[in-house]
Amino acid sequence: MTHARTLATALAVGLMPIAAVAQSMSPMRGEVNSFTDAFAVRVFPANPYDQKIRVEIHVYDQDFQPVEARISPSVFQLASQASRPVLVVVPFAGAAERKVRICTESIPFPNQQTQIKAQICGKFFGHRKS
Amino acid sequence: MTLFRAAFGAALLVTCIDQTALATTQNVIFNGTITATCTLVVVTNGTMTVSPDLQSLSSHNSGGSAGTVTLTTTGGVSLSVDPVTTTSAPAADVTATTWTPTYSASGAHTVAETGSASSLTAPGASLVSVNLAGTKGGSNRFAAGSYQATVTVRCE
Repeated sequence: MTHARTLATALAVGLMPIAAVAQSMSPMRGEVNSFTDAFAVRVFPANPYDQKIRVEIHVYDQDFQPVEARISPSVFQLASQASRPVLVVVPFAGAAERKVRICTESIPFPNQQTQIKAQICGKFFGHRKS
Repeated sequence: MTLFRAAFGAALLVTCIDQTALATTQNVIFNGTITATCTLVVVTNGTMTVSPDLQSLSSHNSGGSAGTVTLTTTGGVSLSVDPVTTTSAPAADVTATTWTPTYSASGAHTVAETGSASSLTAPGASLVSVNLAGTKGGSNRFAAGSYQATVTVRCE
């Protein structure tokens, strides 16, 4: 399993874009081939605000139901104008391919009457190769 | 001998000129690929006020205000709002409330107020206004106290 994770992580490097500031998350599209029972995606959430924000990363299926995935880190503070990599490992769960949404969520101004949660979702397609 | 020297010098000069003429230019090619991106920046949260009949708590009511979000995209994305799931109400409010989030956009993308997803094909920046309305039916009324709701604005 450790080797599988390592390989999945290595495959994620192929999806690694140049991190860019002032984007909420990049990339927003991706297709991954994996020879293991999971596929990995590295995304770069960014904070376009002039203040520190709390960011959460969630993985959903096509119907926006939560998907059991390993996200590291899944919750973190992001400094103003900063970006950081997040590794998401999604199991195929017995399927030959899997479509998931990886979403970056934040409420930049909490504790107010009507809060707005900004959610940026990328769509990713994993193919399991035998 | 003088003539020979002159002829030799001229021939040498022509050769040098020919050498210079052989120099060429080369193009340096730059490539860049931009994948679909979307940035949402919450500018202001909204404010809801209650209607005179106490059956509507809405940002559309007098004194209320929409939340605003700036959206910048390359295009090829869609914008939507989620049904409201996170709310808090005063203990005195024990009746059901129906929450309806909507949004509209102006700028590079023009979207009339809707609660459905919109496809944004063009690149550009827009201002998204987010509204929320809570309604009570029958004889139910909003109670005094603090209400809070969270609207999720999604770009994907």
